[in-house]
Amino acid sequence: MTTTSFDADCIVVGSGPAGVSVTFPLVDAGRRVLMIDGATGGDSLANDFFKPWTRALGAQLEALVPEDGLSPKLRTPASRQIVGDFIQATNIRGEGFVAIGARARGGLSRIWGGFVCEFDERDIVGWPFSIADLRPSYKVVTDRIGVSGSDTDDMADFFGRSGAILPPLPIGSSAARLLKRYRAGSTGAEFALGVARNAILSVDRHDRQACDLRNDCLWGCSRGAVYDARFDLIELKRHETFHLVDGAFAIDLARSGGGWQISTQDGRRFSAPRIVLAAGALGTAALVIRLLPNTPTELRLLNSPVLAMPILVPARLGRSADPKAYSLAQLGYRLRYGSAPTDYITGAIYEVEGLPPSSFTARLPFSRRAGTDFFNAISPALLIATGYFPGTCSDNKLRWERHGDRISIAVRGGTDPELPSKLERVIRRLRKIWWQLGALMLPGTSLATPGTDVHYAGLFAMGHHTAHGSTMWGELHGAPGVYITDGAALPNLPSKHPTLTIMANADRIGRHLARIHSVEVGEGPAKCSQSPSSRLCDRTSGLRPSNRRRFPR
Amino acid sequence: MLRLLVTGASGYIGRRFCEVAAERGCEVIVLGPAPSTGKFSHAFAWRLGDEPRPEAFAGIAAVIHLAHSWASDAQNGASSANVNLSGSERLARVAFANNVPRFVFASTTSARSQALNAYGRVKYALEERLLAVPHAAGRMICARIGLVYGGPEEGLYGQLSKLVRFTPILPMTGLDRKVQPIYIDEVVAALLSLAIDPLPRRDGVSAATYVLAGPETITFGNWLRMLRRAHTGKRILLLPIPLWMALFACDLTRLLPFISTVNRERVLGLASTEPMDAALDLAALHLDIDPPMKRLNLLRSDRRRIIVEAIAMLAYVSGKQAPPRAAVARLVRGIERQDAQPLGLPRVVTKCPALLRAFEPLWPSVDHRLTQRLHLAVMVVESMREQFGGRSNIGSLFGQAALEAMAVPFRLLLGQRYT
Repeated sequence: MTTTSFDADCIVVGSGPAGVSVTFPLVDAGRRVLMIDGATGGDSLANDFFKPWTRALGAQLEALVPEDGLSPKLRTPASRQIVGDFIQATNIRGEGFVAIGARARGGLSRIWGGFVCEFDERDIVGWPFSIADLRPSYKVVTDRIGVSGSDTDDMADFFGRSGAILPPLPIGSSAARLLKRYRAGSTGAEFALGVARNAILSVDRHDRQACDLRNDCLWGCSRGAVYDARFDLIELKRHETFHLVDGAFAIDLARSGGGWQISTQDGRRFSAPRIVLAAGALGTAALVIRLLPNTPTELRLLNSPVLAMPILVPARLGRSADPKAYSLAQLGYRLRYGSAPTDYITGAIYEVEGLPPSSFTARLPFSRRAGTDFFNAISPALLIATGYFPGTCSDNKLRWERHGDRISIAVRGGTDPELPSKLERVIRRLRKIWWQLGALMLPGTSLATPGTDVHYAGLFAMGHHTAHGSTMWGELHGAPGVYITDGAALPNLPSKHPTLTIMANADRIGRHLARIHSVEVGEGPAKCSQSPSSRLCDRTSGLRPSNRRRFPR
Repeated sequence: MLRLLVTGASGYIGRRFCEVAAERGCEVIVLGPAPSTGKFSHAFAWRLGDEPRPEAFAGIAAVIHLAHSWASDAQNGASSANVNLSGSERLARVAFANNVPRFVFASTTSARSQALNAYGRVKYALEERLLAVPHAAGRMICARIGLVYGGPEEGLYGQLSKLVRFTPILPMTGLDRKVQPIYIDEVVAALLSLAIDPLPRRDGVSAATYVLAGPETITFGNWLRMLRRAHTGKRILLLPIPLWMALFACDLTRLLPFISTVNRERVLGLASTEPMDAALDLAALHLDIDPPMKRLNLLRSDRRRIIVEAIAMLAYVSGKQAPPRAAVARLVRGIERQDAQPLGLPRVVTKCPALLRAFEPLWPSVDHRLTQRLHLAVMVVESMREQFGGRSNIGSLFGQAALEAMAVPFRLLLGQRYT
């Protein structure tokens, strides 16, 4: 049993998008931050695969397993490892729910599709703060991670304009066709289509190179064009007041003195006045549950039910595939289906060229031979559209049982009873829209098992006045000094992809923590956080902030 | 329908046990991690050491306790902190408190108080503890299992198989130790019989301990030679080394990259194994044990069939006649990890792989064995695009459509053949 000698102002649990985002404002203000991470090593950003086949199947053929209904993104050897390690460590079981977490450096950003959007004021109705409080943080995060897309088309306002947007990457021919038809015609006000907004670089920046369109995003980008939180860790490690502890998988959280103590799986203990939880919604839940009163023993967990639909662009049949492309989302769309402010779905459209045929042939009603040929022949004309529903359409319960010190957690997946009728309406409408855009919706549209979307929220919601609710700063009501900065703190979930918002919210909370700390120790406010307009440290230019203070060791 | 509760169901023996028990018409309930492929009707979350939920025991005819925490052996040895001891005892207490009539505990032929490995000592201590649990008399059965082989290459069998495949010269300790290999299906049949049949009586009384091990002993060295011959058809040169050197080598494997780690416990277990008399117990269970030589020869021919079938499947899904060796090797490995049995495709199909189309089920289903294997074949092919190359054009689709239409009646007839 060891206790750290690093005297931290605050401990951040998790090295994922929320963890790094909350840490930047803290270390920029000179706070001493200890980040503990369950992963061992894995800092290497170099693509460590030598041969193409190992990227697809894994060096130990770990991804060579029968069809299991997972999305191609989660079937890669790397994702399997990342998610498998997490499930093994936390013992979270899904019942009709795919429970996903990441025990890897960089956390869930390692399996993120990179789709970026900001919430707007209608998305956050009922949150204990306004969109104006989030905007500065959206800007900081967007500028830091590097986001490309269009800032002029029909979706630009929907995706948000708080930060600087890099020029878009060239989109695939089938997607381009769809977009062209959309711009020419009229599909009604409830539908909007535009170039996707992705956390992927279209220009070189610092150590990261721009995307060179090699179409293998799925297996990890060797150029660092697609964002993952490990890039931020490289930057954080340059700060003297930042300290990262490796292989420290947090398993318990308890009060100690005036602060908190975290115990890890390997018997180490770390204490600090404040704990910031950023272990991913499920990882955070596994820790927070220990602090909750004995009842209730279940919480609602929001997710975004997601459907995937194949669309064929007949005009592209018989053409050859684009020689250069990227395989993240090409287009983004939004479709309103009801009158409430959040009654809309958000979707992304992908070209299938960069995806493995096996995940499609398994679902075709053909023999494998014909299916493979069929897929190969039509893939240049094939697009896959996703469609995410808001969290109100989900109905999941996270339940736990205590066995002495051990807690076993299960998530039971479910959907709102009204989802099928909404789904039918949406599919009918989209079929018509794709047709107007010169594309054909193929049979095979299906709703994924709850949880595969990995848009988790609502567990310890900010602004909820219950023992498991948290303040507007994510501070847990029942446990002052414990802050929740990942998806678990979001009170609700519009259909938009929440990662950018999780990061921005973590940044907002980080600024608050930096501020209250200075008040406590009687310092003036850190240079970095003076007034709302000038409180942002500029990291777009890549210049290191000049206000960094050396902290005495 | 008899309802069985199985722990360790995702392990080497557990997975096979669930399959066989389900085939025999038992309802299998899993306690703890569930097998990814085996058939079971419900799984309860549980880990060794947890208090099991009472509802898991409702209507259970027997508990088959196969779970074992190797991590706890490594960490705590045979001390009382070992979760195997407390966890298994807790499980048995709850089972008997819920009136479960039988509890079969998987022990080992190395269960002795003076065993060199913690595993043997822990299992021995557990046998004593479990038999002393209230209401255990006449209900608790300890099955001392020998050196298990066959089936998917996992567990000790998997490690030894990998080792003998890897090298023609093998320094090894304990070569003159006597081992009692027993085939995995024989162990499973015996466990099932202990769980559901009336208890066999030996000399008029029903015993609490049964030895499930090969009735004939062979030396460990000969066993390795047989395994090598079965897996590769080749001979192996065994260099006897003392125990300390083998243990040192184990520690070394942990430091060296690219070499799979060899467990100290396994080596110690081999070094301390002593033959136990199994013939009477096996006779009492009406179990015929095939000599390992015969079984291994069958395994070898099985492997050959799997290779032939893998070649056919790759040729079928890719449309290329001779698939590269590397592709075949990968597919075979993938198949063997699922289940090590060939499908038994007729010779005419392996000669003319295009006929495989007639055996595919009309509606895709995830647990159809042929479908699963073809899926793996597609994955292998797409991971080696350079070698297989070629993308199809629209024109070829017409040919495919015609073949597809012709195949429909055959698929209706033959599609359920290799489920």
